[in-house]
Amino acid sequence: MEFSLLGAVFFAVIPLYITIYWEARRGNAAACSKSLWDIALTAGVVGLIAGRVAAMVGDGVNPLTHPADLLIVRGGVATGPAALAAILTAAWMGRDEVWPVLDGLSAAAVAGLSGWHAGCLARDACLGTPTDLPWAMAQSGSTVTRHPVELYAAVALALVAGAIALWKMRGRPSLGVPAGLAIASSGLVRLATEPLRPTLSSGPIGWYWLGLVVGLSIAGWRWNVARRSERHAPPATSQ
Amino acid sequence: MRRFPAIIVLAIAVASCGGTDVDFSQVPPLPPTSFAEIEATLESSEIPVVLNVWASWCVPCRSEAPLLDRAAAASPEVRFIGMNVRDDQDGARSFIAEFFPDAAIDHRFDSGGNIPVNLGGSRGVPLTFFYAPGGELVTLHTGVIDERTLALQIDEILAR
Repeated sequence: MEFSLLGAVFFAVIPLYITIYWEARRGNAAACSKSLWDIALTAGVVGLIAGRVAAMVGDGVNPLTHPADLLIVRGGVATGPAALAAILTAAWMGRDEVWPVLDGLSAAAVAGLSGWHAGCLARDACLGTPTDLPWAMAQSGSTVTRHPVELYAAVALALVAGAIALWKMRGRPSLGVPAGLAIASSGLVRLATEPLRPTLSSGPIGWYWLGLVVGLSIAGWRWNVARRSERHAPPATSQ
Repeated sequence: MRRFPAIIVLAIAVASCGGTDVDFSQVPPLPPTSFAEIEATLESSEIPVVLNVWASWCVPCRSEAPLLDRAAAASPEVRFIGMNVRDDQDGARSFIAEFFPDAAIDHRFDSGGNIPVNLGGSRGVPLTFFYAPGGELVTLHTGVIDERTLALQIDEILAR
């Protein structure tokens, strides 16, 4: 048996949990009555199943006639449908307080995604296209040095997660804006690193663009809503 | 409205009972092979070789089959050999008809399943061997292979 994928999952779950725990002690999602940890785990599992089903359908394998194939996660998980299903699940679970829930999860989800990419160290799957840069790495027995592309993505996403967490703590952003920026930046990081990944096809570039555009649209819309409500709010009366 | 979940469950159950029989009459029987023959094929190959060990009863093999199909189509400069092990001809042909109908993969039949062991692998399936030209084993991947790993290892054997 081969458990490296399970190791990569731990790489993802640990920063997810630490970020939720760390932010909770600093007033994260104070208006939210739900357990963000429960929502994050449920959304992750639903996303995994949806992504696996989508990958099977994309490969021409019928999930109804071959249900056992669902368990072969290593056979492929379609990133876009997985992310979409996870976000919709989180939104549905927090449906009466959608924006506090999604904002509350934004930094933690990006941190978890960063951990997932860093999990390439457990799977021995960090390498991308060839390069001669000083920090290039080679797989054992090979003379071809390559970009550690998954580590690039991990570092970039960790920086994004940290920035969102600090911004929520200090800047009091408008409701929904952190969630939108988290989605957009995840798409952007994947878009930026995709050309450095070895691939047999063009990769799910369309999904990454969709994430970037939808994320920015959500952030812009929520920021605009907040500005308009501020403008129409009654002026504070002085005593 | 309460009946809706029951209808969904019933529909899934009915759909999953559907037969998976595939017409494999167009697929010729797989030629039986030996370790000596495979070794000679690898040593005489002037291009890199990807040798995938599979069986029709192996669920993970089914999962990676579409990927190998795509890889064979995308990498004409690499030779793909599929080694069917511990299987029967009907099962193997049915699997090929379902998953590799047009793939540029040269399938062989090893009913005893000893060739992968002699090549340095194990009796487990799936296995994927990556050979440089001349038959030098570059990497042996055990278990289901994912797209990134397959693309990376093909890139490695092409660079040798």
